[in-house]
Amino acid sequence: MATATSPSLDERPLGTAGQLSELLLPFATVTGVLGLWELAPRVGWLNGGVVPPVSEVLILIPGLFADPVFLPNVGASAFRWALGFALAILIGVPLGALMGRSQLAFDLIDPILTISYPIPRAALILILVLWFGAGDVSRVGIIILGCLIPIVISSYHGARGINPHLLWSARALGTGRAAALLKVVLPAALAQILSGLRLAIAISIFTLLASELLIRQSGVGAYLFTLLDNGQYHLVWACSIVIATAGFLLDVAYVRLIGWLLPWMEGQV
Amino acid sequence: MAVVTGRSVEAPAAVKVAARGVRKVFTSRQGVQRAAIDGVHLDAAPGEFVSIVGPSGCGKSTFLYIVGGFVEPTAGGVTVDGRPVRAPGPERGIVFQESALFPWKTVLGNVTYGLAEQGLPRDRQRAVARMYLEMVNLRGVEGLYPKELSGGMQQRVAIARTLATDPDVLLMDEPFGSLDAQTRAILQIELNGIWERTGKTILFVTHSVEEAIFLSDRIYVFSARPATVKAVIPVDLPRPRDRDAIIQAPTYARLHRDIWELLRHEQKTDGERGRGDGH
Repeated sequence: MATATSPSLDERPLGTAGQLSELLLPFATVTGVLGLWELAPRVGWLNGGVVPPVSEVLILIPGLFADPVFLPNVGASAFRWALGFALAILIGVPLGALMGRSQLAFDLIDPILTISYPIPRAALILILVLWFGAGDVSRVGIIILGCLIPIVISSYHGARGINPHLLWSARALGTGRAAALLKVVLPAALAQILSGLRLAIAISIFTLLASELLIRQSGVGAYLFTLLDNGQYHLVWACSIVIATAGFLLDVAYVRLIGWLLPWMEGQV
Repeated sequence: MAVVTGRSVEAPAAVKVAARGVRKVFTSRQGVQRAAIDGVHLDAAPGEFVSIVGPSGCGKSTFLYIVGGFVEPTAGGVTVDGRPVRAPGPERGIVFQESALFPWKTVLGNVTYGLAEQGLPRDRQRAVARMYLEMVNLRGVEGLYPKELSGGMQQRVAIARTLATDPDVLLMDEPFGSLDAQTRAILQIELNGIWERTGKTILFVTHSVEEAIFLSDRIYVFSARPATVKAVIPVDLPRPRDRDAIIQAPTYARLHRDIWELLRHEQKTDGERGRGDGH
């Protein structure tokens, strides 16, 4: 969390030694893990045929991008992810915010959430496939379902926990009851909503890949699992690194984007 | 109902705010009913500065919220200019103890908020906002966010935001309660000046007797919970008031002693000490 937001000077020690170690320590950890990964197959701790040394994996990544079917698959995944995530926001944020401000809405919606919360997402994929067939509807649907609950819950808590004096101030300044939902409740709950969305990004990438494993028509998940079926373990590792990096960059970009779009919120998400 | 100590109080000639038999009962989740306010009558004349003091937790903030239209009374009611209060409205501005500034808006955005709701053109909004920021002695902070300001500056912005829409009545709920003594004294002097210049009717909740005497025309002393009006004390100190001179005046000492006596008695008879201020 702290890595992506810019540290404020008054909270951190100014000593250059402190700053240097803060920069170097994460670097050292990553280097250590990569070093171990390089070493383990070479000295025989791990089967090099299944877990190749990291250097052998990394040099394969450019070749992966050169494969004419790789990028179209990435594109198909990215499209479904973006569509599912956007729809989940459009459904989840108003639903959660309404639950937070209206006891009636809460009483109506909460039982559904309580019942659906423990159902494994993987089981839901199969239900969706039986219902809508093995197509895009099911695959987008599972992304929506996968991240809907964290979005609804964070929006609910955000809307419920707002300082009532903010709402009263707006009402006394001439804002109507309904307009206040948009003008006050939403921005006041935004920090919590955006934290929920950050969690939802991670969950949605997982459900995206899981759906492409089960409905293997296109997408980076389908591509990955085909490599696995073919026993191309070097490429499985290379592809996994690309996916992990994409997920990491998405998270960093998300936090940066918020810091840039919403300067008043710095450090809250 | 109102036990007047010392001298008699003439009813105000014209009434801006009138509370009649205001009663508020809160029902807990377990269904236990507890009265917060029990039959409060209060009048404020146009342009009058009226303070409400009382033991903490006595329900004086709740009373203010009823005048604001944020909380519904269980019985009785409030009128402003003879019209019953049913909901919050722009003719009654409010300033809370903790700054209730919108953290997602800059200082300028906060002060122009109510003006935008009134549909003023953008350049006019800015001009009016700057005028009120000037009135509360804030310069060069327009582009800052509330969290970048000190507590005293935040309360100044909150006052400017409330004044900007030009409400007739200003409701102030311990607005200086969380400030340090020095900032508090400065803001009291500024508020006194603003009140003299704008002629607003102000209802001011505080538990500082000093503050109430310095600022008010009349002081309502509330009893311990459930709140009733224990006394209405006129503050016959000349205006314009000078804070340092007033503290030396014999009248000040007498008022201070009288009000403290009333409050001390309330603290003793207060069977159930309320936590917080009965929100």
